[in-house]
Amino acid sequence: MALDPLRIEDEKPPRPAASGKKWVRVTKAVNGIDTEVWEEVADDSGGPQWGARESMRLISREIPRVDGPDKVTGRAVFSHDVRLPGMAYARVLRSRVPAAKVKLDLEPARKIPGVLAVVELGDGEVRWLGRPIAAVAATTPEIAEDGVRAILATYEEQGFAVTAEQAAADNAPKVNSRGNVRALSKNTDTSEIDKALEGSPVRVKGTWKIPVQHHASLESHGVVVDYRGGDEATVYASTQGTFTIPGDAAGRLGLKPNQVTAVVEHMGGGFGSKFGMGIEGEAACLLAKELARPVHLMLDRSSEFHAAGNRSGGEHQIEIGVGRDGKILAFKARVTRHGGVGQGSGHPLPYIYARDNATFVEDRCIHTNMDSSRAMRGPGHPQASFSMEGAMDECAYAVGMDLLEFRRINLPEGKRELYMRQLERCAELIGWKAHPHKQAPDRSDAEVKLGIGFAIARWGGGGNGQCKVEVRIAQDGSVEVLSGTQDLGTGTRTYCASIVAEELGLELAAVRARIGRSTFGNANASGGSTTSPSLAPSVKHASHNARVALFEKVAPLLGAKASELEVRPGEIRVAATPSKRIAWKDACAALGPNGLSAQGEWQAHLAGNDIGGAQAAKVSVDTLTGEVRVLEMVAVQDCGLVLNLLAAKSQLQGGMVQSLSYGLFEERVVDPDLGLFLNANFEDYKIAGAQDIPAMKAVFEDDPRGVIGMSEAAIIPGHSAIANAIHNACGVRLREMPLTADKILMGLAALKKG
Amino acid sequence: MSDATSPRDAASREPSLSRRSFFKGAGVVAAGGLVGEAVQAAARSASLEPVCMEGTVEIELEINGARAKVAVEPRTTLLNTLRNHCTPPLTGAKLVCDRGSCGACTVHLDGAPVYSCMTLAVDAVGRKVTTIEGLASQGGLTELQSAFCAHDGSMCGFCTPGFVMSISACLESNPAASLDEIQRSCSGNLCRCGTYPQVFEAALAAGRKLRAKGGK
Repeated sequence: MALDPLRIEDEKPPRPAASGKKWVRVTKAVNGIDTEVWEEVADDSGGPQWGARESMRLISREIPRVDGPDKVTGRAVFSHDVRLPGMAYARVLRSRVPAAKVKLDLEPARKIPGVLAVVELGDGEVRWLGRPIAAVAATTPEIAEDGVRAILATYEEQGFAVTAEQAAADNAPKVNSRGNVRALSKNTDTSEIDKALEGSPVRVKGTWKIPVQHHASLESHGVVVDYRGGDEATVYASTQGTFTIPGDAAGRLGLKPNQVTAVVEHMGGGFGSKFGMGIEGEAACLLAKELARPVHLMLDRSSEFHAAGNRSGGEHQIEIGVGRDGKILAFKARVTRHGGVGQGSGHPLPYIYARDNATFVEDRCIHTNMDSSRAMRGPGHPQASFSMEGAMDECAYAVGMDLLEFRRINLPEGKRELYMRQLERCAELIGWKAHPHKQAPDRSDAEVKLGIGFAIARWGGGGNGQCKVEVRIAQDGSVEVLSGTQDLGTGTRTYCASIVAEELGLELAAVRARIGRSTFGNANASGGSTTSPSLAPSVKHASHNARVALFEKVAPLLGAKASELEVRPGEIRVAATPSKRIAWKDACAALGPNGLSAQGEWQAHLAGNDIGGAQAAKVSVDTLTGEVRVLEMVAVQDCGLVLNLLAAKSQLQGGMVQSLSYGLFEERVVDPDLGLFLNANFEDYKIAGAQDIPAMKAVFEDDPRGVIGMSEAAIIPGHSAIANAIHNACGVRLREMPLTADKILMGLAALKKG
Repeated sequence: MSDATSPRDAASREPSLSRRSFFKGAGVVAAGGLVGEAVQAAARSASLEPVCMEGTVEIELEINGARAKVAVEPRTTLLNTLRNHCTPPLTGAKLVCDRGSCGACTVHLDGAPVYSCMTLAVDAVGRKVTTIEGLASQGGLTELQSAFCAHDGSMCGFCTPGFVMSISACLESNPAASLDEIQRSCSGNLCRCGTYPQVFEAALAAGRKLRAKGGK
């Protein structure tokens, strides 16, 4: 009976592995959505190993980032910061209406002194609010803005729907030819689940509402296109995928992909929104082609909100039936996604719990004349977590059962031990044992009430074989590791260097990591937390191969076989006769002028997959003002081999902060009548600031597996734990984010009325 | 383009250009061309009469202890002047919101933190501008910058220069700043990666080091 269209993985491989092969789960984008699939790969278990963790010097330790000094001094050059001779600055004109036929008169812009080029974007048909329709290049950004204002746009306005309510109404203007309300999957026979629900002694039913969130990366989307005529170009891009740029850019510039080099030295946040070049990148290429001079086009903040993606919102109707013993007997869900002109991310319900007795009634999306949603950190999971954990909590209170015990009963067999261990650790860290009211809200007369809530997350985080890494050792002893990969702020550059330095017995500073350039080896785009589990094993493989090749050269000098050698800090020696040794510099001198170059590719056995995490939040609720303060957040996470404990802690805590921000503050506000995005700026679209940050604790479990990406798991459960903590504090159950004071006061008033 | 114009006249004539033209507290009309002295005089003047400046003005700024001549439109922000008109470009201060709500563009004017996206370059004439590039002596790091590195106060790093500038000013005046005071000092800065806990750790650690050094 369980139709579960959003099941994200099959539990078992499709068939036994062929000889010399093995099955691994990898995360791949299927129809734009990160999905776990089984892949048969060569059984490389005999290859390099990470080795004993206690003997590591530079892996799984607290390693300050190698680019830290550049970042704190302003020396780090982001794409926004690229300045080239003769560079023009460009800005885009956005459609001010959600649906229209547009005619443009570009001449007034062209007449402004300093305006260098003006191009039209799109085909004159606008289907979503804020779509860039023209771009202006000028000698300064100020003049480019003048140019944008001077363009005469004539809109033949059409009916629009910017909210789901508008779009779903009878006779609503058509957003697209496929229909505004589109069923992605439907289960018409619900008789069995309905019967199970009817037979359940305790039932919880509700609708959870989830706002549209914005990525709000501080560095906006954009590129600097360095094209000066001729047959090559360099594109500096703020992107999560170095290799997503050259093909697109070449098409617009009339070049071949191998004539375009993409550069991503540093990038200022993407969170899932920065794959490919986008309309803004195309515009920059068109302008650069026309001018044959470099063009700098970065979206301004308002354009960034309007036209650079978002996390889909939605609505979840959930009904759960529970037995007196706390066992969930039936789960029924209907999901509506709000993804603008796009279809939004899949919301995997039921989330983690209650997988056996579940029926998915319908999964549908409602299209509006708004920018398409894009992937955003943990696509679909934070949404699913909010309703699922909220509903779970409601059930636990309804049957009068301890919050953790209720979760234990309804966790799937194979995950129970993991999540209970993590939940209990969270409980311990946040002081659950001493908390005075565990199974009911604080019913005292206190004005400010304290509450604690819990939630869990799962993610794949496996790697894939899309990385090619090179390690070079020069005659002078210097070492470089090269990969085209991009560092989103996760510390990629740092672990590239530290893995090589560890393998070769060198100090971290002795290895230079060169990344973010499409002329280096291929690397996967950073989505689905797949970067470190794909790249780190490839770096390990390349450095292992470099060491083996170096041993081959050095062995004759030591009168030994290559297999008898080992590295020690700064030297190579014969393992059995340590007095037979050669200093690093002397060993490298034997390489001759060509030095040594070794390649590496993905080693499935050095990566892992499938992680879980739990978080808990302690909040105070002021019952007079409705103000919520998050006082404390704790997280316990597994993620295989932690490459850098310092950067990983930042990632995990950063995820918790984003989750807090999602829960308490973030919501796109649209005026349905005027068709306007009302808070496309950082005053009215609030994200968490310094004074919103609670005390935090992030714990990584000792996990013997290989490298697994963890970033997405970090952002999934925090807001759900906060919502649950609010209920535990004051009895108000918020089924709609953001969890703001007005909603809490309304809830308190409703409780008083009874 | 060189007429002295009251703001109301200017606004009614060219409403779309309202942002470009005004700055407060000046008493001189700039007519395009070399007006550095006029701007300086204007900056010193206490006159409340608003004045219209247009065209390009050449001004001299004191940035990180060195004099820099730049030719900018009067409407050009200090941020865009640093990033787009200085040689070499000073791109440490970041353009993120362009309206004073995120702090990524924070620099010091006469030692006090300001949003350089909300400051006109012409208003910085006669004042000492310090940017992230000039915070430490050549090639070095301040205690706060070192602490940011050691405690992982940057993830993507785009907000980092702004945070460093805001908190530097706080520690400069009070190396014994509490967590609460540090949070307040950077409450005008936004970080999307959520680096705040490490930033606070770094700031507190830097404060301890500064106090141990006895002095700043």
